[in-house]
Amino acid sequence: MTITESVGGNELTSEAEREQAQLGLTPGQVAIKRARRHPGLLVGFGILLVMALFAVLAPWLAPHDPYLQNLSLRLLPPAWVEGGQWSHLLGTDHLGRDYLSRIIYGARISMMIGIGAATIGAIIGVTLGVIAGYFGGWLDQAVNFLVTCQLAVPSLLLIMALVFVIGQSITVVIFVIGATHWVFYLVVTRSATLRIRELDFVAAASAMGCSRLQIAVKEILPNLLNQILVIFTLEVAVAILNEATLSFLGLGVPSPTPSWGLMIAEGKTAMFFQPWLVILPGIALFVLVIAINLLGDGVRDVTVTNRRS
Amino acid sequence: MTIRYPVRVRAFLVGMMVSLLPLSASAGPSDDTLVVAFSKALTTVDRLYSIQREGLILSRLTDDGLFFVDPDTLEFEPLAAASYTWVSDTRLDITLRDNVRFHDGGRLSADDVVYTFRWVLNKDSDTSRGAVIRGWLDSVEKLGPLKVRFNLKMPYPMALRDMAISIPLRKSGTYDDPRGGDQPLNGIGPYRVKQFDVGRRIVLERFEDYYPDSPKAGARIRNMVFRVIPDEGTQQAELLSGGIDLMMDVPPDVADNVSALPGVERLEGNDIRIGYLTLDAAGYADPDSPMTHLKVRQAINHAINREAISRYLVRGSARAIPYACHPRQFGCQADGPRYPYDPEKARQLLAEAGYPEGFSLKLWAYREKIIAEAIVSDLKAVGLDVDLRYVKLNVFSKMRNDHRMGAFFASYGSGGTADASASTGVHFTANSNRNYSGDEALSKTVLAAERTIDRDERRRLYREALNRIAEQAYWVPLFSYSQNYLLTPALSLPVSEDGVPRLWQAAWRQ
Amino acid sequence: MINYVLRRALMALLVALTVSFGTFALFYFATDPAQTIAGEDAPQEMVDAIREQYGFDRPVSVQYVDWLGSVLQGDFGQSYFWKQPVVELIQEHAKVTIMLALLALVVTVVIALPLGISAALRPNSWVDRFALTTAVSAQAIPNFWLGLMLIILLAVTFPIFPVSGDSSWRHYVLPAFVLGTSSVPAVMRLTRTGLLDVLGSDYIRTARAKGFTGYRLILRQALRNALLPIVSVLAVQLGHKLGGSIVTESVFSMNGLGRLAVESIFNSDIPTVQSLILLFVLTFVLLTLAADLINAWLDPRIRMG
Repeated sequence: MTITESVGGNELTSEAEREQAQLGLTPGQVAIKRARRHPGLLVGFGILLVMALFAVLAPWLAPHDPYLQNLSLRLLPPAWVEGGQWSHLLGTDHLGRDYLSRIIYGARISMMIGIGAATIGAIIGVTLGVIAGYFGGWLDQAVNFLVTCQLAVPSLLLIMALVFVIGQSITVVIFVIGATHWVFYLVVTRSATLRIRELDFVAAASAMGCSRLQIAVKEILPNLLNQILVIFTLEVAVAILNEATLSFLGLGVPSPTPSWGLMIAEGKTAMFFQPWLVILPGIALFVLVIAINLLGDGVRDVTVTNRRS
Repeated sequence: MTIRYPVRVRAFLVGMMVSLLPLSASAGPSDDTLVVAFSKALTTVDRLYSIQREGLILSRLTDDGLFFVDPDTLEFEPLAAASYTWVSDTRLDITLRDNVRFHDGGRLSADDVVYTFRWVLNKDSDTSRGAVIRGWLDSVEKLGPLKVRFNLKMPYPMALRDMAISIPLRKSGTYDDPRGGDQPLNGIGPYRVKQFDVGRRIVLERFEDYYPDSPKAGARIRNMVFRVIPDEGTQQAELLSGGIDLMMDVPPDVADNVSALPGVERLEGNDIRIGYLTLDAAGYADPDSPMTHLKVRQAINHAINREAISRYLVRGSARAIPYACHPRQFGCQADGPRYPYDPEKARQLLAEAGYPEGFSLKLWAYREKIIAEAIVSDLKAVGLDVDLRYVKLNVFSKMRNDHRMGAFFASYGSGGTADASASTGVHFTANSNRNYSGDEALSKTVLAAERTIDRDERRRLYREALNRIAEQAYWVPLFSYSQNYLLTPALSLPVSEDGVPRLWQAAWRQ
Repeated sequence: MINYVLRRALMALLVALTVSFGTFALFYFATDPAQTIAGEDAPQEMVDAIREQYGFDRPVSVQYVDWLGSVLQGDFGQSYFWKQPVVELIQEHAKVTIMLALLALVVTVVIALPLGISAALRPNSWVDRFALTTAVSAQAIPNFWLGLMLIILLAVTFPIFPVSGDSSWRHYVLPAFVLGTSSVPAVMRLTRTGLLDVLGSDYIRTARAKGFTGYRLILRQALRNALLPIVSVLAVQLGHKLGGSIVTESVFSMNGLGRLAVESIFNSDIPTVQSLILLFVLTFVLLTLAADLINAWLDPRIRMG
């Protein structure tokens, strides 16, 4: 199977382990030591921390209720533009809702959906990967078939069709994005499981009378944690972008939820005249995703191998 | 509200839009060609087979029916018919004008009228309005070369409306050849179809042999081109660069923005369309639904600030409406309870109904998301936990037709008909999927009104029905719509009362 | 080899059937195509008449078998919405999307390959850092937003390109750029790592020792080997572009397959949706197959199996 071959493949005996052996440190200590020297990771982590704080503390930080409309104050420009008001720093939208507050609350939605969808994807992908890799045979074939079905239809189209017929809600969006983003977890888990299955300690566990399932869960999964974590981080970013795209196309989270993608879609009709409606949420989205990607790349660098790629 | 732009921005916008597109179609007075943008493509220019709004607009140019809607009074007046008499409640005799010609030169005769209506009555012809016409029309017979008799199945006051809006006259034998002739359409209207590129453009030319005593006679502009431009931004750019002369159905915000630029004029007119909420009073979706309580429905009526919504969001000539009909419609005179905006009262009514903490509700909608959001916000303000389900029409109608909605925001255009029957019949008769009232008596009243010719009696019946709807708060009547047009300043276009542009009266300003 | 191709074909068939029945059933249960065909204000008589005329009142299995039967006879049906044969409709829209996808591929290759190669030649230099920054940023920019920003910047503020549409080559510049950049990070990273791998391998070291110098060596030997995974990724990316053009096409209002797919979903235009899904599945299968075959041709060590 080409997909497996082209995506998987990753050295278990990495330079990290060598370094660890040389210095007599635990893997965790090595990772932290290297993380301190990794600018991308630090910057990404920093930005993310700030945005996460905004998301968590939104009710205290947002100057207004993001849902509160004031029809007589529609489409105010940001405060520094002619006609703006300092009480609405980033202006208001087409229902007179405070744009800054909506952007702050938007961070919540994005993060919730990103983490939720990536978790569901991880659960599906890892489960299927362990099953396919460990048991092989027709189960492997069946999983392979699922993967092909999944990859053969453009995932965005599939997500759109599903959300369209199931109905729009945050939960649906989380589940549907999660349910269509598990292939990477699967590929990595499956190939790693295949390799680990042959190793001694699994055979030993098997000899000690552990059931196959116990082996799979207790012995195989912990070995995969690093890789899954890296994929997870990157999938959070992918899910956030997916949600934004879906919402932009009108099939994501329902209005009036303050989703950045939705805000861009709503601003699009007035894009030439009130461009801030489109520009501001886009910047928020960009910063969040780049922070997550930097963090993900960084985590991969410090945990897996010395090589930046 | 007006939006001001810094001068710099304006200069940018004009510059960009004008330099933007190659002038693919020359428009304007210089070559006497009016270019109009259509957002959606028409699949056919034959009104008998299309119910799109674009088809209606086009058909008013290319086709005449026996009657037409007077754009000022919205009454149904004879058009190809010279005169008509109701012989009885179910028998209508029509005399045709003797000087009406088809675009191919042939004269209109009684045979053509009989052919057209028999074609529509024929089930196999699959015309789009066939089912509706078959509901009331029994048969058509020729009484003389210019005289036709219509036999109705029952007294049906809207017969003239259906003839005016839905049935353009066709020459006898038009549909014999399944592939159609060389001519895309052989009508009797003031313009003839010169060219029809499916999905791209429709070219019309003034029909010089049009009967001069027609109320629609005297067309000023020689050529009209309808270009299909689905994207609104592109339409705006084309308008500013002179590629098109007229944009219709412009959302108010866009109209505000674009008309602030030089070189564009904005026209505003009425529209017979009204917006409303339907509440599941019958408890179809959920027998225990809070909507089954009168006080809850009244509370929702009090909770929504229709004045603010129509003033700030619908704008123009839009007005809040107190009853379930458009004020321009015949029969829309009621004196039942009105529900002014009063969130306090709403809360109190909710408490009295046993929901002091509110309840959760799914509100369904498929158009004007901004307005739907504003409604949600008003309902949240009185303590309801509202989940907006904004979906596409195909999902919406499935849910609505299966009676699975607790409340929905929708609108109805009444086919441009200024008569209360056009909307009450669709929404409150017992066999209608749109009816969520479950009120048998109301259904009877509405049906009775639909089968009554006497105008005073019809007025009385509609008053009774509309009062009942208001008392029971089956609906939240919201607002009437307005129509926004953007056009080049060189064009003069009288706006019509029903929101369908009367392009045959368009002219160039001198 | 033939066996392999046959197995792939069988798989494709199964996938196509599964996916198409899935969508068919979804639409059957969740939407009402009759109302869309009739129009929003259409009275019930009209909607009922249409439902009967199109046979929407029959059970889902009957309708599906009916549809499948016609397809097997080469009849893909009429679009409910456009009232036009689906095949014609798809042909019309495919022109735009194929053009867009190919141009976007060119954009990807033109940006990603030179960046990846120069980054690999001087690891950890400023070129490398620049390439990495580009990749990370390109990955984080929402595609649709980039499109809107380009419209504001290059179509409005500096009116160089048209805002939207697909009627001339100028209409394709911005969309192709937007769609193309979305694949830059993946292809760039792959080029870089692939080339680094090859440059570090034994036979290059040997070649270097034998006296070949600089760029000729790299271009001839290393690139050829590094190209392997890139070709398959490009093929898959092309497939993604055919699908990913959904977003680009809606941002720039181009009448391509992606937009047709979205509109058809919104209108319950089932014959069109079904045919598009078959087309997408087929394209995917063909492209991955092509990628495998090209790989096999480039590198005889890979066995089909």
